[in-house]
Amino acid sequence: MTEPLLSVRDLEKHYPIRKGIFNRQVGAARAVDGISFDIAEGETLGLVGESGCGKSTAASSVIHLEEPTSGEVIFNGNGREGATRNSDGTHPNDVTKFDDDELMEFRRGAQMIFQDPSSSFDPRMSVGNAVGELLKVHGMNDRHRRRAIVEDLLERVGLSASDFDRYPHEFSGGQKQRIALARALVLNPDLIIADEPVSALDVSIQAEILSLINDLQEEFGLSLLFISHDMSVIRQVCDRVAVMYLGEIVEIGPVEEIFTNPQHPYTEALLSSIPTPDPRSKVGGIELKGTVPSPTNPPSGCRFHTRCHKVIQPEGVDIDQEDWRGLLNLRDNVAAGEVDVEQIRENLAAGGTEPTESAVREEIRHEFDIGETVDDPDLERTLSEAIEHLFEDDAERAGEVLADAIRTPCAETVPERTVHAPDHESACLRHGERVPAEPNPADD
Amino acid sequence: MATEKSERFDQVDWNDLSRSGRFDLSVNSLGMLLTTIPLALLGVYDWQFLGERTPTFEFIGLEQNLETLDFFFIFTLFLAFWYLVLPLYQNPRMTRYYWKEFRRNRPAVVSLGWLGVVFVGGIVGPLILNAPQQDLLIAYQPPVFTSVADTTPATCVGEVMNGRCYGTWQHPLGTTGGGKDVFTMIVYGMTISMQIGFITTTIVATIGITFGTLSAYSGGWVDEIMMRFVDIILSFPTFLMFLLILYIYGAGLGMFIVVFSLFAWGGTARYIRSKSLSISEEEFIKASRISGASTYQVIRGHVVPNAASSIITQLTLLIPGFLLAEAQLAFLGVGDSTVPSWGQLIATGRSDLSFAPWIVLAPGIVLFLTILAFNFLGDALLDALNPEAEAENG
Repeated sequence: MTEPLLSVRDLEKHYPIRKGIFNRQVGAARAVDGISFDIAEGETLGLVGESGCGKSTAASSVIHLEEPTSGEVIFNGNGREGATRNSDGTHPNDVTKFDDDELMEFRRGAQMIFQDPSSSFDPRMSVGNAVGELLKVHGMNDRHRRRAIVEDLLERVGLSASDFDRYPHEFSGGQKQRIALARALVLNPDLIIADEPVSALDVSIQAEILSLINDLQEEFGLSLLFISHDMSVIRQVCDRVAVMYLGEIVEIGPVEEIFTNPQHPYTEALLSSIPTPDPRSKVGGIELKGTVPSPTNPPSGCRFHTRCHKVIQPEGVDIDQEDWRGLLNLRDNVAAGEVDVEQIRENLAAGGTEPTESAVREEIRHEFDIGETVDDPDLERTLSEAIEHLFEDDAERAGEVLADAIRTPCAETVPERTVHAPDHESACLRHGERVPAEPNPADD
Repeated sequence: MATEKSERFDQVDWNDLSRSGRFDLSVNSLGMLLTTIPLALLGVYDWQFLGERTPTFEFIGLEQNLETLDFFFIFTLFLAFWYLVLPLYQNPRMTRYYWKEFRRNRPAVVSLGWLGVVFVGGIVGPLILNAPQQDLLIAYQPPVFTSVADTTPATCVGEVMNGRCYGTWQHPLGTTGGGKDVFTMIVYGMTISMQIGFITTTIVATIGITFGTLSAYSGGWVDEIMMRFVDIILSFPTFLMFLLILYIYGAGLGMFIVVFSLFAWGGTARYIRSKSLSISEEEFIKASRISGASTYQVIRGHVVPNAASSIITQLTLLIPGFLLAEAQLAFLGVGDSTVPSWGQLIATGRSDLSFAPWIVLAPGIVLFLTILAFNFLGDALLDALNPEAEAENG
């Protein structure tokens, strides 16, 4: 196996939460919680996920803008190829352990493009100087040489050399993103991390920037870590995709494989969010309810189980999947004290006549997408009992009843990674019986 | 061939370059150094080798003498030239942009013109006009176009008609009770006002920016202590402090400037701190850090320029406060009576208000206009430098 350019292993970034006068640490927001991936030379890896799932934190930890809590970021570019691990298990190319000089060298090997073109340039510095600043920082003191290089580069990204002296406010968002690309390129890096580079742009401009990125990548053999929440953009530029949810990678694989044969329910849900012109398309219409849970207190087991539409039913239960999801949602909402019978009754009364007892019961079921009867008699009895307790204004008891009866393995077991095809792995319990992923060679 | 080759970004041999860390001085710093060194030498020469009463420029036969305050004033002028005026010339695009924004505010343009007059008058005036001389014979001459009863002046310089003495162009703004020409005194007062303006601004900006930035970047306990110190500075009764110093050391204009500016930088420091904190969250700071720039380089290159340009307004509004304070102290009789400031002139005319109002009115109006001009200017600068602030205000 050829050596990857960048190899990230079990990267974690936790933000401590401090309270009290002594600033005692009371917890941590686990923004990135153990992610691993490789990027080969010239390859584009897409990192996709909802807002707040830790994509940007992952990027800034990889580029060492922030010190990661733990894990390794092994960068084999910049003439550091072919290094082997030291005897104590550390890697000589581990960015997290670089000293100042090595870090400076790493800066020439990896650069970044930011999401917001309007705030990524100093408003009081001409764009030419902003791009040339990197050259200056790295020791090129010859002003004329800097200018020549930057002017050449500005032309390469589709602007003109005379733009050197202009200021950021004189450019459009798309032009600024071109300049950002020039800035990322000017030190001739091997890797560029693009953090949602086109999400702030119009669709027509997006395409231009993406094709520019593609061209430059081909011309200079760049590797790209492309972060986005937009699956269609990912499909356009990436070779491989890693899907992130709540600080973890749930599925990683070649882009075609992921798009045609998604294995993780979360990937399916993301894919179904792309508008598709094909009416017979298999995926579609999966709606993720609720928001991403807080990374300070992530759900146990599989982190996606609170929103998963394919959440596993326990041994011996076999009911309609939608009913099951509804029951779980009802259980969680009751436990959180968010089900208010009075409120439901009032809402119904607003429609006209005073609602009957059974109408309210029906409304509760309806609200949680639970059918008229649940196929499993035991569960049906539990549900009725819980609703009864709710009517008696005993939400606590209702919660206990539901929590006792409704359990899913997803909340109890952390899923292992399983291999579906070469280079295509996912972490979902539904694939548990299949071959577990081989230990990665780079872990040795 | 070799030069052409090195003009492409992907053909730079960084290992070769990064070793050669040569010290790189900008034109501005070089100019500053080249002008400050002779000034400093002159200052040392004046201080060490010349007698108290010997004029500084005696060695080339000039009668001109420079006081300590003048040295500081010239130093701040150099600073303003190399780091304010020259950069405006060096970045014509940015200058044109600011000017376009600034020009929309008509009163501010007029104000700038007036301040220009005061500035040039303050610099050039004392060089071409002789210092006002006491001449009791021509006391209480009225300003030109006006007249007073001919019993008011000792002798009337202009025509006397129907028992009234008319003003002449010889003394366009009349004379004081001591026979000093009011116009000349106002011109000499411009110098004092400019000295107050420039020196206090330099002191306040230097301490404020340094303190605020340090506080923002230190964080934690250091930040806490520094900001509480700012609270003390802000709540300190400067006037009482000044009176105290006045009775112990005597109060020259220099002492006034030092005391008042040493207690005026609190607001600036606080503002710079909050501005630095918000700027350091911006993406261009991240971009700069990823480029490999050290914290010092990031602060020096991005944080300070961006924070500092937003305090220009605040500083502009600070100057009128100092000018007023000086005038008030002079009026109360605790100012520096050896300098021909506007405040002193007003104070001398105070007792003659009933029959010679021009002695108070002329410098009073000039002072009023100058303060008004600074206020208009500050307002316009705020709009020109921070378009966002204007947008927020609607």
